[in-house]
Amino acid sequence: MKKLSSILFIVIPIIVILSLSTFTVDQREHALVFRLGEIVSVKDKPGLYFKVPLVDNVRFFDKRILTYNSTQPDRFITSEKKNVLVDSYIKWRIIDPAKYYVSVNGDEQQAERRLTQTVNDGLRAEFGKRTIQEVVSGQRSEIMGILQKRADRDSRQIGIEILDVRLRRVDLPKEVSESVYQRMVAERKSVANQLRSQGFAESEKIRAEAEKQRDIIITNAYKDAQIIKGKGDAIAAKVYAEAFSKNKEFYDFYRSLEAYKKSFNGKDDILVLDPDSDFFKYLRSPNKK
Amino acid sequence: MQKLIRRVFTKSPLGANNDGPPDLDEMFKDLKNKVDNLFTTNPKNINGSGGNQKPTNINDGPGNIKILPIFIVVILIWMATGFYIVDQGSRGVVLRFGENTEVTQPGPRWHIPYPIETAEIVNQEQVRTIEVGYRSGGGGTSQELRESLMLTGDENIIDLQFAVQYNLKSVQDFIFNNRAADSSVRGASETAIREIVGKSKMDFVLYEGREEIAVKTKELMQDILDLYKTGINITSVTMQNAQPPEQVQASFDDAVKAKQDLERQKNEGQAYANDIVPKATGTASRLIAEADGYKVSVENESLGNASRFSQILAEYLRAPEVTKNRLFLEAQEQIMSSVSKVIVDQKGSNSLIYLPLDKLINKSSSSLNNNQLDKSQASSGSVRDVVNSITDRSRGTFRARDRDVR
Repeated sequence: MKKLSSILFIVIPIIVILSLSTFTVDQREHALVFRLGEIVSVKDKPGLYFKVPLVDNVRFFDKRILTYNSTQPDRFITSEKKNVLVDSYIKWRIIDPAKYYVSVNGDEQQAERRLTQTVNDGLRAEFGKRTIQEVVSGQRSEIMGILQKRADRDSRQIGIEILDVRLRRVDLPKEVSESVYQRMVAERKSVANQLRSQGFAESEKIRAEAEKQRDIIITNAYKDAQIIKGKGDAIAAKVYAEAFSKNKEFYDFYRSLEAYKKSFNGKDDILVLDPDSDFFKYLRSPNKK
Repeated sequence: MQKLIRRVFTKSPLGANNDGPPDLDEMFKDLKNKVDNLFTTNPKNINGSGGNQKPTNINDGPGNIKILPIFIVVILIWMATGFYIVDQGSRGVVLRFGENTEVTQPGPRWHIPYPIETAEIVNQEQVRTIEVGYRSGGGGTSQELRESLMLTGDENIIDLQFAVQYNLKSVQDFIFNNRAADSSVRGASETAIREIVGKSKMDFVLYEGREEIAVKTKELMQDILDLYKTGINITSVTMQNAQPPEQVQASFDDAVKAKQDLERQKNEGQAYANDIVPKATGTASRLIAEADGYKVSVENESLGNASRFSQILAEYLRAPEVTKNRLFLEAQEQIMSSVSKVIVDQKGSNSLIYLPLDKLINKSSSSLNNNQLDKSQASSGSVRDVVNSITDRSRGTFRARDRDVR
């Protein structure tokens, strides 16, 4: 029993001393070793390191890429004096922990404040040179590139590398949005009207075309019909002329009789006659006058 | 921690010390001695200076034997803490003193226990989803207008909702290069979609270009995430909804309706055309056919009439007087037998006679009788008229014409 406690008595202090005098640096971290407040070494590589217990002090800083999301959109003015709301994020990384510690006291929030200031300055400058159109579509990536370079140059002084600055949202303020909506409505209205008129026009065109065709077809047919009829009439006239010219006087008589017969052939026709007419000559006396 | 474990175990086996097999005891004793020698080299050489340790070795014989198994059990337990299981689809990332040494595949694995090595298990193949512009869950979806409304290249505002699915292509990159790599996906998706939409026209985004927008967004997102070396692999970007904002929805619908109206009007026009043109063709055919019929009938009539005339003429020439008279009388007969007749004797009278022709016509059409007016009734009158038709009445007088039927 005493043996056990004696072993513990030895082992425990060893463990304590070991844990005080070693530290592990993760692959994801930088470590700064301070000796009584003074930076004595920077550990960049992961592994197990030794330090003087109680005298040395270690601080760890993230080596990974960090993200700063702007908490609320900022207002910027474009070259045509319009307001836009811009939301951005910054991807940054501590590359020089010593500088970083010295300049921002190792405080991430403080670092982010500095980054925001730099980026916002850049945004203000770049947006002021451009129209909304350019900011939104044409030169978006160009702006982001400029901002990244500018912020990176600036932030290296505090041991930070800026990997990327990206515009997340570029929106119009509410009151401008309203007018955009109104414009969109007006545009749609004009499109709708145009479509409807176009529909009317096309419909009319088709109808008129059809009517034209109809008229052409019918008049063509009429023309052909008249030609055919004319031919018939011509043949008939020829036949009649040939036949009737054989005896003109008899033809007159014969044809007249035919005409009379055809003309007076119903009860509706009324003849007012003189009893002196030739037809009645035998009605008056058996002998001819 | 280890001290604690040791204390716990040092107490419990005390009561069961005699139950252990003697062989083992013997063996442990051997081992123990060796260990003791290791720990107490000094006391053996210099008697007394070791103080506590030497006397305990001698006096507490059975106590010596107990410490070693405890020690071994503790070691074993410590070793056992190095076991871990990597699920299917996951990878184990092993760090030795903070440095990545290996990535283990699914299955039961072992690493040198803490504090030398640690292992992190990361799900690599699981498909994760983020929703942009909306949040689903709880049975319904809610819109996130701040995310979904965006500006297009032609300065319109549209409402886009989409989902991004991703898994990991490199577990190491995922763990080591970014803090909160997962949250990078949302940022990247928002900036990417806005960049793509910002370069596109509204109609393109809303209608024909939806798929293309999704594909381009996916590519751009992947580029962005690769730039940060997140180890994330975007598997798909799916458009859930692309529509104009609520405020302008109605007028957009109306425009769509107008497009359909256009089609409808065109179709109606076409229907009208399809109606009248074939009809006209029909009418045309009818005209031609009628004309053909007319031509043939006129020809036939003429031939017939001519032939008839020629034949009669031949007979007439043989006996002109008789034939002429006969034809005349036959014609008179035919006419007189069918028409209504009024016979007026007007000799010796100059005054006008009243002939109510319209009444006569009515009468004649209603009754066949009463056609003949009495001679004496029409006593006077010098007009010798034949009224051919009622239209002659318009002249106002019966005078002035001689149209004898002769």
